[in-house]
Amino acid sequence: MSVETTTETALVPKKGMNILFGLILLGLLLLLWLLLGIFTNSFWTPNNISNLLRQGAMTAILAVGQTFVIITAGIDLSVGAVVGFSSVTVAWMLQAGVPLWPAMALTLLVGVAIGAFHAFGIVRMGLPAFIITLATLTSLRGIGLLITNGSTISISNDAFTDFSRADFLGVPSLFWMVLVVAVPAYIFLHLSRWGRYLFAVGSNSEAARLSGVNVNRTIYLAYILSSTCAAFVGLLLASRIGIGNATQAEGWELQAIASSVIGGTSLFGAVGSVHGPLIGAFILATINNGANLLNVNSFWQRIITGALIIIIVYIDQLRRRGAR
Amino acid sequence: MTGLHDISQLHTAGHPVAKGQPILELRGLQKKYGAVEALKPANITFLSGEIHAIVGENGAGKSTLIKLLTGVIRRTSGEVYWCGQSVQLATPTEAIARGINAVHQEVVLCRHLTVAANMFLGDEMQANGLMRQRAMTDAAQAVLNDLGFNLPAAALLSDLTIGQQQLVATARAAMRGTQFLIFDEPTAYLTRQESAQLFRLIRRLQNEGVTIVYISHRMEEVFELADRVSVLRDGTHVGTRLIGETNDAELISMMINRTIEQIYHKEHLPIGETIVETRGLSGPGFENVSLSVKAGEIVGLYGLIGAGRSEFALGLYGRQPVSAGEILWEGQKVEIRNERKAMDLGIALAPESRRDQGLCLNLPIGLNINLPIFDRLTSGLTINRRREIENADKQINDLKIKTPTRRVLASAMSGGNQQKIVIGKWLSHGAKLFIFDEPTVGVDVGTKAEIYRLFARLLEQGAGIILISSYLPEVYELSDRLHVFRQGKLVASHTYRSASHEEVLTQAIGV
Repeated sequence: MSVETTTETALVPKKGMNILFGLILLGLLLLLWLLLGIFTNSFWTPNNISNLLRQGAMTAILAVGQTFVIITAGIDLSVGAVVGFSSVTVAWMLQAGVPLWPAMALTLLVGVAIGAFHAFGIVRMGLPAFIITLATLTSLRGIGLLITNGSTISISNDAFTDFSRADFLGVPSLFWMVLVVAVPAYIFLHLSRWGRYLFAVGSNSEAARLSGVNVNRTIYLAYILSSTCAAFVGLLLASRIGIGNATQAEGWELQAIASSVIGGTSLFGAVGSVHGPLIGAFILATINNGANLLNVNSFWQRIITGALIIIIVYIDQLRRRGAR
Repeated sequence: MTGLHDISQLHTAGHPVAKGQPILELRGLQKKYGAVEALKPANITFLSGEIHAIVGENGAGKSTLIKLLTGVIRRTSGEVYWCGQSVQLATPTEAIARGINAVHQEVVLCRHLTVAANMFLGDEMQANGLMRQRAMTDAAQAVLNDLGFNLPAAALLSDLTIGQQQLVATARAAMRGTQFLIFDEPTAYLTRQESAQLFRLIRRLQNEGVTIVYISHRMEEVFELADRVSVLRDGTHVGTRLIGETNDAELISMMINRTIEQIYHKEHLPIGETIVETRGLSGPGFENVSLSVKAGEIVGLYGLIGAGRSEFALGLYGRQPVSAGEILWEGQKVEIRNERKAMDLGIALAPESRRDQGLCLNLPIGLNINLPIFDRLTSGLTINRRREIENADKQINDLKIKTPTRRVLASAMSGGNQQKIVIGKWLSHGAKLFIFDEPTVGVDVGTKAEIYRLFARLLEQGAGIILISSYLPEVYELSDRLHVFRQGKLVASHTYRSASHEEVLTQAIGV
């Protein structure tokens, strides 16, 4: 193609940039692992690595769902609450004698319904995403606490609780779940037209609409995917801790947003990937894990997460300004 | 600068340079972005009290020059002499403090504040640390009345039209002791009346000793206003002429090395079957509009901004609900409830605002071009990468979009190239009826000519075109049928060149 031959370095093509950014992230993750291996004795132990993969897995899945929403220039603050609520839902149904598979399927459907409600609030009622998801954040915790009467429901289904402890090919099953989510997510976002529509809506929804994109449907899709990912994580969490408790997963929404942003998603919309947030989630999990091993007060982890968000978003701003 | 808000006093008091003497001189002023020379070393002298027009195609270096003079960007080399002294102009604050100010095409004011608050923004009247709201409103009203603008100072800026906002921006600059005022295509979004008001204001400022730099694509404005005119082409200052010693043909050939006849490219083709007909169509902003478009013809819609033309187009395209009347598509009655339905019938819309409606600016050119046809590019679950790339590159080649690759973001393109992206989007989709809403606003002359030739190509292929424009020569020269809109209604219709410019204008204004 003749147009390709002109050299104009001022306008950096997007693709090369993305790969470079992904490699930098991956390098950062490996560097963290290397440093923790040098400075602690316990980092490279099978137990710790499994633990790290399990914890990172749940954040990673939340971050992927969150990324879909952020690409449309929205935000989903409810995902932590949805995780807690889903753990209650599945525990409650199992306690009531609902068989395992229907109970899990219904829990995921509850996730779908919550996402649809968010999109309804945004599309039909005209509420900002920030507000409607903040409102469900607190409401869902409340409903979960009402159901459990403020306590927890323990899960006695062994098949369910054993799953999270199991390994497959020497890797924790929870980590495999990341792939179960990430592969379809990658196809969806990067290879299908729906992914293109998410970017278009996030960039300029009016232009997308006038180009024949069903903007409302795209927004429904993004929020439903986010809430469903969160409900799925709720199942994984319930399996891991063996209880349903509405106050679990407190602050995970921020972890998910941070992972997504560290992974290169722009909070202004229309920029993001699937692989970025995955690496971002494991970077965060590694920082938390390393802080534990190094006996750093766990309160510091929250401060570090906050600082990271500020730094990454600031860098994102600089990058955009430079691109202009 | 507080307290004294009577403009005439500000400008006559202590003016440093006598009328007709150089007030601002550029000596070898140059700006490079990396290896790209946006402005080649330029020597231009602005004389005190003159109206100095600057013309040139998009990308000729006009905006670079404005940004250098207003301190938005820093020069690479060269010198600027202000009232005989070498100055840095390193920041906007410095430029404003020296009395250099600019009124931009897109108004940069706070839409949620009142007119008065905007006029005093950053320079509020205070008493004991509190703002004197009423005093400011009164003072602002006095200035507006004095300038002959019929605008309430207490109104919110967002309640005004873009044209009125522009007048407020001008009044704001005028209030601040500006000695050197740059207008960057101020009339692009103005109605005829608003333009006339703006011209009166510009002349008035000139009489008060303000030096005016006037940047425009519109030749007749340049000849109406300017004393001298400088031409830029590809970052080079080609020359400066006294207005009385030049004509538009010379200026245009300086700008583009092309003659004026080549710009409006019009071919008369045999008119075919009716594609679409509206009968008494009404909706938000337009009322009882009946017109038809046949294959092979351009139907022009002329009127002032806000006359209901764009609203009619959006109604026809299914973006706005239609409240009454009917649409016949190839003789069949249809209801167009959404954009998808319109596209499926064969309607394409290149909307009024590229920035707000036309493009996803922070996404690649390729994605923008393919946006309407991703469903066709999909096989199975995923998009066919090869066809996606082929289609984008085909449009980029066919339309000569100036980009190294389809992956460059749409925001990096000039106005003309952005318009080509919007058009490319619809060429790849294909349509029978193309609606072009202000297709040449902010587009350079060369690209304009390309767009007009493209119209002819579409007509040859049996399409019909609705051309909406606020620029009379454009719709006048190109339309087979010209409909005039006023306040939401279709008030007159003409065949090709059957009415004079004056007649059409009078109908649009409604005097």
